[in-house]
Amino acid sequence: MVETKNPVANSVMVLREEFDDWAVLFNPDTGQAFGMNPISVYIWKNLDGKHPVGEIVKDIRVNYNNVPGEVDEHVNKFIADLVERGFVGYKA
Amino acid sequence: MKRKIMKTPKSVDLATTNNCNLRCKYCSHFSSPGEVAGDLPTEEWLQFIEELGRCSVMNLTLEGGETFVRKDLKKIIDAIVKNGMRFSILSNGTLITEEWAEFLASTGRCSSVQVSIDGSIPVTHDSCRGEGTFHKALQGLANLRKYKLSATVRMTIHRKNVRDIEGVARLLIDELGLSGFSTNSASHMGTCKQNAEQVQLTVEERGLAMESLLLVNKKYGGRVGAMAGPLAEAKHWTKMVQAEREGAKPFSGGGYLTSCGGPMNKIAIRADGVMVPCLQLCTIELGRINKDSLADVWQNHPELWRFRERREIPLTNFEFCKDCKFIPYCRGNCPALADTFLGDPYHPSPDACLKRFLEAGGKLPDEKLLMEKEACACV
Ligand code: SF4
Ligand code: SF4
Repeated sequence: MVETKNPVANSVMVLREEFDDWAVLFNPDTGQAFGMNPISVYIWKNLDGKHPVGEIVKDIRVNYNNVPGEVDEHVNKFIADLVERGFVGYKA
Repeated sequence: MKRKIMKTPKSVDLATTNNCNLRCKYCSHFSSPGEVAGDLPTEEWLQFIEELGRCSVMNLTLEGGETFVRKDLKKIIDAIVKNGMRFSILSNGTLITEEWAEFLASTGRCSSVQVSIDGSIPVTHDSCRGEGTFHKALQGLANLRKYKLSATVRMTIHRKNVRDIEGVARLLIDELGLSGFSTNSASHMGTCKQNAEQVQLTVEERGLAMESLLLVNKKYGGRVGAMAGPLAEAKHWTKMVQAEREGAKPFSGGGYLTSCGGPMNKIAIRADGVMVPCLQLCTIELGRINKDSLADVWQNHPELWRFRERREIPLTNFEFCKDCKFIPYCRGNCPALADTFLGDPYHPSPDACLKRFLEAGGKLPDEKLLMEKEACACV
């Protein structure tokens, strides 16, 4: 099933951005930390409940070079993974 | 060239107080440069914790003195939770009531509480920490475990408990069912410096501690840990001797003052709010909380950069290391100890110098006592 609501990041999560545009996504409730590449960071920052996934994908195509054709599939998979981990929910 | 660093430190150690309910004979805090006048008011800590949250710091370690003497500790911990961080506590254990343990567990953010247990019986534990502290520390440990907190134990080895190492392992692992414990030894800092005769291990006792620790560690399948002190030395020095004998290639970081990686990912705050590289190294003052920006100090302070670049100083620079055959395998040891012995953190520490230990007649344990995975000289 394709989610039609806008994804929103769980406010408990902490994004530690580094100088090279990579970041660590930290869950203080569990102590788990995940490395994020610059595109993942860009997506994460847009998970504010105001941006539909389609719009995020469109923006990536505009703002980054050499974006693969199947980027929408990658973004959807990435967000689904974050939802499964409880880091992201959906806003109507 | 400047090394690559993180934008802000990942972890920060907070000396939340200067005070303690005990006066241990080998305390590294009292009578050290870390013992400063007065504690910060609650508001100062709360304001700084908000800044730590904005800097996306992940972990705080609360220590002192003894952090549980602070009446406002719950407020401080609430602020840590509210600002998206986790915390650990280093404690003597004697003030950890059931109510405290319940509170810590309720936060869901407590990574660990380390309690000091130095003996298997009151005589050995209390000899340096004070009468009645053994039972109180054990009670504190029991309270933490009742609430399923991650409770760890640190044994500080000194002259009065060096023959009780196996007893401590039996108590903690066999009787209490802990997964393991860590060790260190009374080091030449603070009060320990004044009581050195009474508490600091002699060369012979250091050898004895190394042998006992390797034996106990082997018996318990590697469940005794150490970042410093006789167990760490027993492992590292034995490998250094083996490597030198076999003409092995240099150890990673060997030949330079690389032993301390702290300033690459953490910073510390003294009880008076002064930022320092480490609570054991309080002489290098970097700024003051709520006055200087943490991120700015972290990214730009020249003394912190000098301290980070300590790693590039070769041991061949030092007269102290002249003609030492262990240079390719030596990392120069703890800068805080070098500072307390020589007033110079940019020097190898004489305390953990293998060459001097051997020259003083020190005996290393039998290499066969190393566990299989530790026995290779190719570190
Ligand atoms: S070693 Fe720890 S418990 Fe003992 S006096 Fe010092 S701060 Fe207090
Ligand atoms: S003299 Fe001591 S500190 Fe220097 S290289 Fe040799 S063992 Fe290391």
